[in-house]
Amino acid sequence: MDYFDRFAVPHPSPAIYVSMVAIGLTVIAIIAGLTYFKKWGYLWREWLTTVDHKRIGIMYLISALLMLFRGGADAIMMRAQLAVPENTLLDAQHYNEIFTTHGIVMIIFMAMPFIMAFMNFVVPLQIGARDVAFPRLNALSFWLFFMGAMLLNISFVVGGSPDAGWTSYFPLAGNEFSESVGTNYYMLALQIAGLGTLMTGINFITTILKMRAPGMTLMKMPMFTWSALVTNAIIVFAFPVLTVALLMGTMDRLFATNFFTTANGGMDMLWANFFWVWGHPEVYILILPAFGIYSEIISTFSRRNLYGYKSMVGSMVIISLLSFLVWTHHFFTMGQGALTNSIFSITTMAIAVPTGVKIFNWLFTLWKGKIVITTPMLYSLLFIPIFTIGGVTGVMLGMSAADYQYHNTMFLVAHFHMVIIPGVVFAMLAALHYYWPKMFGFKLNEKIGKVGAWVISMSTLLAFMPMFFSGLDGQARRMYTYSESTGFGFLNMLSFIGAIGFAIGFCLIVYNIYYSTRYASRDISSDPWDARSLEWATHSPVPEYNFAITPQVNSAEAFWDAKKHGHELFTGEYEKIHMPNNSGVPFIMGCIFFAWGFSFIFGMWIPVIISTIGIFACMALRSFEKDHGRYISVNEIKKTETSRGA
Amino acid sequence: MKIDNSLPLEYSTGQNQINILGFWIFIGAEIMLFGTLFAAYFTLVDRTGNGPTGADIFEIAPLLIETFVLLTSSFTIGLAIHAMRLGKQKAMMTFFGITLLLGLVFLSVEIFEFNHFYHVGAGLQTSAFTAILLTTLGTHGAHVTFGLFWGLSIVLQVRKRGLTPETANKSFIFSLYWHFLDVVWIFIFSFIYLKGLM
Amino acid sequence: MSELFPRKQVMGFVFSLILTAVALLVYFLDMPFTTGMTVLLITAFIQAALQLVVFMHAGETGDRGSIYTNLYYAIFIALVTVFGTLLTMIWGYI
Repeated sequence: MDYFDRFAVPHPSPAIYVSMVAIGLTVIAIIAGLTYFKKWGYLWREWLTTVDHKRIGIMYLISALLMLFRGGADAIMMRAQLAVPENTLLDAQHYNEIFTTHGIVMIIFMAMPFIMAFMNFVVPLQIGARDVAFPRLNALSFWLFFMGAMLLNISFVVGGSPDAGWTSYFPLAGNEFSESVGTNYYMLALQIAGLGTLMTGINFITTILKMRAPGMTLMKMPMFTWSALVTNAIIVFAFPVLTVALLMGTMDRLFATNFFTTANGGMDMLWANFFWVWGHPEVYILILPAFGIYSEIISTFSRRNLYGYKSMVGSMVIISLLSFLVWTHHFFTMGQGALTNSIFSITTMAIAVPTGVKIFNWLFTLWKGKIVITTPMLYSLLFIPIFTIGGVTGVMLGMSAADYQYHNTMFLVAHFHMVIIPGVVFAMLAALHYYWPKMFGFKLNEKIGKVGAWVISMSTLLAFMPMFFSGLDGQARRMYTYSESTGFGFLNMLSFIGAIGFAIGFCLIVYNIYYSTRYASRDISSDPWDARSLEWATHSPVPEYNFAITPQVNSAEAFWDAKKHGHELFTGEYEKIHMPNNSGVPFIMGCIFFAWGFSFIFGMWIPVIISTIGIFACMALRSFEKDHGRYISVNEIKKTETSRGA
Repeated sequence: MKIDNSLPLEYSTGQNQINILGFWIFIGAEIMLFGTLFAAYFTLVDRTGNGPTGADIFEIAPLLIETFVLLTSSFTIGLAIHAMRLGKQKAMMTFFGITLLLGLVFLSVEIFEFNHFYHVGAGLQTSAFTAILLTTLGTHGAHVTFGLFWGLSIVLQVRKRGLTPETANKSFIFSLYWHFLDVVWIFIFSFIYLKGLM
Repeated sequence: MSELFPRKQVMGFVFSLILTAVALLVYFLDMPFTTGMTVLLITAFIQAALQLVVFMHAGETGDRGSIYTNLYYAIFIALVTVFGTLLTMIWGYI
């Protein structure tokens, strides 16, 4: 039995046992359901082995929504614990675990896949391509991300959650102070998911550079595609830093090296340094696609072209470079001198300039536009003021001298939530409503959607505005409780009410999906929003080959030109279309990576060696395999097009 | 699949050109990977704890062999690609074989060197300096090891299938990878070894 | 036979050997640290550029713009990471 002791949870509580039972029952229910409805074959053929960018996008979307609820549940528990002084709902250890997983899940396993979902679904359509450059690699990226997410998510029932914060600073995250395997989970789960993200980055840059429709020069690309290109460039250059940092951290924990220890020359601060060399660009990886989404939505529902296209592109390119020049502002108080801090203060404040340019461009797009308030537009309009509050408090934090006052207080927590929630979450929810008809062929209900947008945005203000004040009053972040004499109670209660509001808002979105799936009209056009870019020029839902004829492009708004100025998008005859074959290898490789990560976490070296061999065997298999894809015949295309009413 | 005969075989299809550009972008990521390792190395190089310094453990003889062997292998893989463009499969295979053999020699010397490090008291756990030294060298060595297996699988495929757009493409991409490992070695040679020995 | 050894690549190889020999001078001759580092920086970067242009054919296709942008971007950020890390972790404390 000793062997199995390592899988026990070090700090069990009734909540964890309930979760174990719930997870067990859910797994049984899923397996039973699939067997009863005979859906195993469907699942394997249509989803697990797919290399279609649209289906992969939808799988990312489902994962992101699931993780949103996992991270959201963590958030509610934290706010409930802090709602009143001296609360005993959670103990200190449990609270540590929850704020750690909340951070990791929300950034890496919610925001990232949400972005990947729309990048996967939209970018190939916007550039008129059949698929991405490396469809099978794309499937592998998804499965690596998914397995990384699953690995982290089983941590709290098998062996213990990570508990050193989402930043996992050493020496706290070292063996001496984090004895459970929790931090190993952190290292390996992020490593696996990060590899997947890196592959996505390479894949999408190549796709965007090489597979655009004829006539679409770089400066005629839709803004979301531009944002995807810049984002993926950041991914390609930022994620290797994380890979190295995690490698060093893993070696410290499992092979007793001295990178980040406090003995034998180790330097704990180096972890913080590398974490943020990756971590700051990561912030822009999250925000730039969101900016792209807002640009599409604001221009569509202002019924005019985007103001300042070139300055939009230029500001994104500048942001992508500056994002690598500011990382030290995350640890101004660590002890480096005034010169270093001043340099990074200046670069930090400089980055507010291109961001400001973008805000003004959206405002000028709205100006003299014929604004139509739909759910996606409502999210975009609510985003601008709330994000600006978050943004200007960021400039306050960016002043290194002043940062000594704000550092590690709730002021900081309020700042980054006020940036990330309107910046990323609103954008993704807006995109969810905006692209839903393209994905599934019906619209989400507008009335429920708008109520949801209001509830969520007001909850953002209610939950996070009080933190600015409690932070300035001295409430530190990551403290599991506080005494009544501090007077933080009222402000924290407000935040808790805001958190409840969030929960209600997300329930409204789920209800909307349910309601619209049952009742919404399927009889909508392929262009329900009167939009401007190429993804709306094909049917909804999109046929597997995307476009029967490759579109010809002559401007940044080719579809708009086709609708209003008589531009011919599709010229020529149907030709047979080359498509990639489905493959089970990415999924199997993902499963092997899961086994590899799991055995690594527990230091079980024989399974590690076996699964390593398995990974390389999959790669060799791929190398020797002859796979030339398949063709869709002209007859098949004609049949599909006629059935879609072309 | 459209084949454009005006271009070298490895560029002759659209997918081939995509593969090559994709690999260049991967090399961009690799530059950052090794850049980060170098950043860590330079930060930790003087933090030797109770262990030895670089000057204590580096030896010039294996270094010279490793450098010469890797430089030569980078030259021969270049010749292999040149032969491939001339359509001389046999010469190409010979140069490919020489490259892989030289890679094997490099790896053997590196293993010998690691053994030496271990015996003079510079193990993975000795100090921050030895840990980052062995991790940086080890990451490069792991790349070479992976390259040997990869190169071997390409040799087998060219032998079996001849020079097709696909195998030519794979060979060319492998050559990019191999040259890149040489570039990384030049930086290791200059800024880890020679700087340490200076 | 000689067509298998193109002049450009042979010259490239010879030149890279010469650069290696020059770099080795810092070991065999006694020179101050700054001079040695200057020599190493110059030889290493020329050597890297040589590999990229002569052997890796970085500029031979229509994608050369993308390839060079990618490389410059990567090298720029790698240098920022190296020197920024040194600034933050070591030099900044003096």
